[in-house]
Amino acid sequence: MLNLSTPMPIEERLKAISNYAVIFALVVIVAGFAIAAPSFLTGANLYNLILNNVVMLAIVAIAMTIVVSSGGIDLSVGVSVDMASMAFIMLLKAGVFVGTALFAGIGAALVVGLINAILITRLRISPFLATLGILFIGQSVQKIASGGGKPVYLANAKFAPTFNAIVKSEVLGIPTPMLILAAIAIAVYVLLHKSVFGRYIRALGAQPGVAWYSGIRVPFHTSLVYIIAAGLCGVTGILLSSTVKSYVPLSGDGYLLDAIGACFIGTTISAQRRPSVLGTLIGVLLLAVTRNGLLLVGWNFYWQQVGIGLLVFAVLALSFGLRGRGH
Amino acid sequence: MPLDTQSAIIEMQGISKRFGPVRALEEASLTIHRGRIHGLVGANGAGKSTIIKVLAGILRPDAGTIRIDGQEVTRLTPALVEKLGVHFIHQDRLLVPTATVAEAIFLRHEPRIGPFLNLRAMRRRSAELLKHYFDLDLPADALVQDLTTAQQKIVQITRALAQEAKVLVLDEPTAALVKREVDSLFRVLRRLRDDGISVIFISHYMQEIEEICDEVTVMRNGTDVGVVDPRQSGIDEIVAMMINRDMGEMYPARSVAIGAPVLEVQGLSRDGSFRNVSLTLRAGEIVGLTGLLGSGVKELVQCLFGLDRPDAGRVAIDGQEVALGSPVQAVGRRIALLPEDRRAHGVAMGLSIADNIALASMQRYAKGGLVSAAKEAAIVDGLIRDLSIKTPHRHNLVRNLSGGNQQKVAIAKWLSCQSRIYVLDEPTVAVDVGAKVEIYNLMNRLAAEGAAILLMSSELEELVGMCDRTLVIYRGELIDEFTRAEADTDSLLAAASGAARKTARETA
Repeated sequence: MLNLSTPMPIEERLKAISNYAVIFALVVIVAGFAIAAPSFLTGANLYNLILNNVVMLAIVAIAMTIVVSSGGIDLSVGVSVDMASMAFIMLLKAGVFVGTALFAGIGAALVVGLINAILITRLRISPFLATLGILFIGQSVQKIASGGGKPVYLANAKFAPTFNAIVKSEVLGIPTPMLILAAIAIAVYVLLHKSVFGRYIRALGAQPGVAWYSGIRVPFHTSLVYIIAAGLCGVTGILLSSTVKSYVPLSGDGYLLDAIGACFIGTTISAQRRPSVLGTLIGVLLLAVTRNGLLLVGWNFYWQQVGIGLLVFAVLALSFGLRGRGH
Repeated sequence: MPLDTQSAIIEMQGISKRFGPVRALEEASLTIHRGRIHGLVGANGAGKSTIIKVLAGILRPDAGTIRIDGQEVTRLTPALVEKLGVHFIHQDRLLVPTATVAEAIFLRHEPRIGPFLNLRAMRRRSAELLKHYFDLDLPADALVQDLTTAQQKIVQITRALAQEAKVLVLDEPTAALVKREVDSLFRVLRRLRDDGISVIFISHYMQEIEEICDEVTVMRNGTDVGVVDPRQSGIDEIVAMMINRDMGEMYPARSVAIGAPVLEVQGLSRDGSFRNVSLTLRAGEIVGLTGLLGSGVKELVQCLFGLDRPDAGRVAIDGQEVALGSPVQAVGRRIALLPEDRRAHGVAMGLSIADNIALASMQRYAKGGLVSAAKEAAIVDGLIRDLSIKTPHRHNLVRNLSGGNQQKVAIAKWLSCQSRIYVLDEPTVAVDVGAKVEIYNLMNRLAAEGAAILLMSSELEELVGMCDRTLVIYRGELIDEFTRAEADTDSLLAAASGAARKTARETA
């Protein structure tokens, strides 16, 4: 506990403030865009921003958060997204029952996670290289399966109700994808921060040798991490393909760098610079809001990327700069 | 010649070096004369390797002067030391395995014709050097990895000689050698000495020190406590100088009824590490285990905790044979290991005290898969109080604790597990004296509560002070067992160094 009777030294105060640098940045950016682009702070824009830019990225970023917490990295999140999307769309097209196609889609993503788990825990390949290999293989598999990368469209009226039920429906006035994100965020928050499994993940991330020497089943828990992460990416795959009513090969790869970025931007809200669900969500918002705002003020796509890059530097410089040079 | 051997080639004076709160060297001095073989001995942690690292230019001393060949050097670097003619033959071979003998000998000093390597000269010169110094016909094109350990050592020495070394520093040169190879190495060293080269010989093996050295510097607690002629003083006197006899009240007395066997090890072997080790650990008993670096003690402990697998032998707990294939199984059998490398294996520095203490026994803290904050507070705060871990709160990071308190957290993790068999590997390394005594008291209390404790230590006073029995491993074999009455530091060190135990051997 903090000792409140003695005043905190200035360095400690700066450190405490540095934890909120990213939240401060988010507020400033939202305020800035609200002034610069009148259409930014409208209900329609925010609704679209959240449904089309935040939800799907946030789920992948939360998956990444689990992996990064365990001291690993998953470069194959896009493959999990795409595999779910591919299985779901192709099975629907083949006339399979929606529920079955849904489960098969998630199942396809879980297989990606299982392969990662085997590579990492059995063959002892480092997570970076194992998931990088799966990224390469996953991309090729998709190109082969889709005849060189041709999308599979299901734009006819027969499937419209199915897709609408998934992405356009509402429960108690709240869009279903948002509820799905909320459910996942809460579940993963509990998993990482409140459960026994979360403790093991954190120990693995902090000092894997200590976890092993404490009698923890390290390979088992590591495997679970990659399988759960892939399954969550599968959810994004279903939402993505339902939104665009098609399977577009390699479209999941777009989430990879944003997910890693959001996760690491999110670590700045923790004093120990640990990944957390809340931090990751803030990171996702920061990236999505900036991109959307720059679009509304009229920057083209390429300049948006420059803007995002500068933003990341600014947030990290603010956050780490305030901590002092000693760290 | 006699006058020449009196002049010093290396003079290190008043060398001090601290690592944080630890004083590794305190006003230590070391003088090496020309044409002498100079032994450097001391218990683990006495400062031998620190002073050698200072000489090698790897560590910068906080205070003190160093003169090499009469010249005072202030900023010593590894390159400068080599230029001054001091060469280090390390314990682990530092040769490129895929290099040829000639390449290894002339590494970084290759003879050249203009910008090109003169390979012919390299091969010829290396063959000449090997023939001249060692009377050895080693093919210059043989790969280093195909040589025996002794041959590799000779290649290392030849490399030094090719650069006209004045001083050779050999750190545990005989550790991986068989007797015949040791003899030939000693012949070489004597010849080099007669040629006027000085040798610093660091070894734990006392007979070797007695056999080869002209003079010996004994170190203890970071300083030199004397220079002796081993032929006059003998092993006993050197060992006595190495050991601090001041034990005082460090070791609390205890009286415990020793119960039934808990852990029984039968004929345990691991190829290349230890052979046919049998031991029994009873409830309430503290059994010591010691051996020199490379004796196989560490590997034995690894096997008892499932970190390594033995090639032969059985382990039984409470009379029932068990498989210890991984730490998961060992912890399941309520075996606890307090590892020597606290940072890598003992505690997670970046996690809180509570996280660390609960880690190995999460089932006690859980309620339907979730951690119960109330249970955690109750158990962890109880242990913090019980072990008097000095911290404002259980959520504080372990990184911010002192070494002794970190070690108490590592122990508390196993108390939370309600372990029955405690394997303690150097439990008081880098722990201050106050915490040391607390750890000893805790060990006694655990034993009194019926735990069985295996205490591995290279601090011999600790074994003498704490253990009901002490087992000694020498070159992979359990060669001796001392009761509390028999054990003293001299005889333990002698046994660990391979000296025959006169009375025991004669009566046996």
